[in-house]
Amino acid sequence: MEEILEKLAYCVEFGKINLASPYPPDMRGQDGADELTKKALEMGVPPTEVLNKGLVIGMGKVGVKFRENKVFVPQVLMSAKAMSFGMAHLKPFFNDGSVVRKGKIIIGTVEGDLHDIGKNLVAMMVEGSGWEVIDLGTDVNAGKFVAAVQANPGAVVCLSALLTTTMVNMEKIGKAVKEAVPGTIVAIGGAPVNQDFSNKIGMDVYAPDPQGLIDYLGNLN
Amino acid sequence: MTKKGAFQDLCNGIFPGDRTIFRPILMHFIARYAGGNYARFASDYRFLVEANLLALEDFDLDMVGLISDPYRETSAFGARIEFIPEGVPRCLDLVVKTKEDVRNLARPDVFKCERTMDRIRGAELLSKLTRGNVPVIGWIEGPMAEACDLCGIEQFLMMQMMDPGTAHLLLDKCVITAKDFAGAQINAGCDVIGMGDAICSQIDPFTYETFVKERHREIISYIHTSGAKVKMHICGDITHLLPSMNDLEIDILDIDWQVNPQHAYEIMGPDVIRCGNIDPRFVMDKSPEEIYSACKLLSEKEKGRKFILSAGCEIIVTTPAENLMAMRRASLYN
Repeated sequence: MEEILEKLAYCVEFGKINLASPYPPDMRGQDGADELTKKALEMGVPPTEVLNKGLVIGMGKVGVKFRENKVFVPQVLMSAKAMSFGMAHLKPFFNDGSVVRKGKIIIGTVEGDLHDIGKNLVAMMVEGSGWEVIDLGTDVNAGKFVAAVQANPGAVVCLSALLTTTMVNMEKIGKAVKEAVPGTIVAIGGAPVNQDFSNKIGMDVYAPDPQGLIDYLGNLN
Repeated sequence: MTKKGAFQDLCNGIFPGDRTIFRPILMHFIARYAGGNYARFASDYRFLVEANLLALEDFDLDMVGLISDPYRETSAFGARIEFIPEGVPRCLDLVVKTKEDVRNLARPDVFKCERTMDRIRGAELLSKLTRGNVPVIGWIEGPMAEACDLCGIEQFLMMQMMDPGTAHLLLDKCVITAKDFAGAQINAGCDVIGMGDAICSQIDPFTYETFVKERHREIISYIHTSGAKVKMHICGDITHLLPSMNDLEIDILDIDWQVNPQHAYEIMGPDVIRCGNIDPRFVMDKSPEEIYSACKLLSEKEKGRKFILSAGCEIIVTTPAENLMAMRRASLYN
């Protein structure tokens, strides 16, 4: 049992999606996260263990390597893809409540900004750490964030921006969310923002990278 | 001596006695400064030229430029572009969605597309109005950035991993258009061609060397053969790529604020002009006195080396004009 979970974690860490995937080249012809998740469940491994001792472990290693500049965006995308193939097999267990997520985040790129690569990376990696992710997409205004929080009380709101011209919208959105649902935690991230900016606009968390957010969320539980 | 003369001297290792050359990336800021908006700046070369000339005069810039947005070539490849009054133009559809689309992607005629032609006309007009006294910087998308513009960032990065053959084919097509567009701007009067390849900061050295490096070399070589210098701009932290880039014969390397200028000097060597690298947020947020001090310190450190003072990336639209003036003042020796 331990062996298949280790293999599964390895596939996520190195972005091996499935048997057919040519990436990574040195794992060609081997099972990927898709087949191994299915096999683990068929072997009777509890879905919670498949998630936490397989998929999450692999994604956690990617998060740390990304923070340390040991891997870059393409590798993270491949890992996230592998993760998502594994997660697809766990979906029935999430739906029937036999696997419980650590919590929920609502994420989106702020109004005026169409960039999604950073937001997507964060979403994938947070999901890979065991959280449910509600992705509102790009160019999201305050009203949509507020509606999402009202529908999902207790969710952490994560605002992303890539442009210096759009980061200013974070303040408006963050304030609207906090006004509508007091006590909501609002995190921000993206290339142009930093801790100073986060403090200045009164947000709760600035995450310099996806792992930073995952670490913060981990401490909430 | 003219500003072009001073730049040529800098390229040849002769340092101007009175200044560090000063040229920040200016787009949205000068559009608003000149009384217009970003949409007009990106869609009408006459306004782009007017805004550049106003900034040249008011901020005593040492160079002018045609940089505006990423979607000139993408438009030539067939994408529909929407202009946003106070935002970067938007690409409304992805030109490349399938492998077939890559195979069928035709080489655009940069003289027949409105958006590429607009920049070429801008090059002619800027060159004419500055009478050959001020270096004019044209602009092209780097091959990796253009490939991402055509098929989406995630899609292209995944394509490199899953279907490298198709990724190479797409990049080859982007290189041809980059050269076509660069050549047209050089013929129209540009002295320097800026090549923006922002996405490269997000990839590892192996991916850069496998997919991009030799294509950069090919474009650089073409620009040199056509008689212009090359300014490479990659937003973000490229510290990890510098060792791969140091033999590319780049003339000017923009370094964003995350890159240590001294480290870049050590890796790139003394012949490459480094351009940078004050944090644009610092330029926006701090007082003119603080900006003057930071720029003065950097300028003094780089005295006697090939260096152009700039912010790490574009000057933010809401930056007070006096902050930009503080940068200019700091770049003057007396």
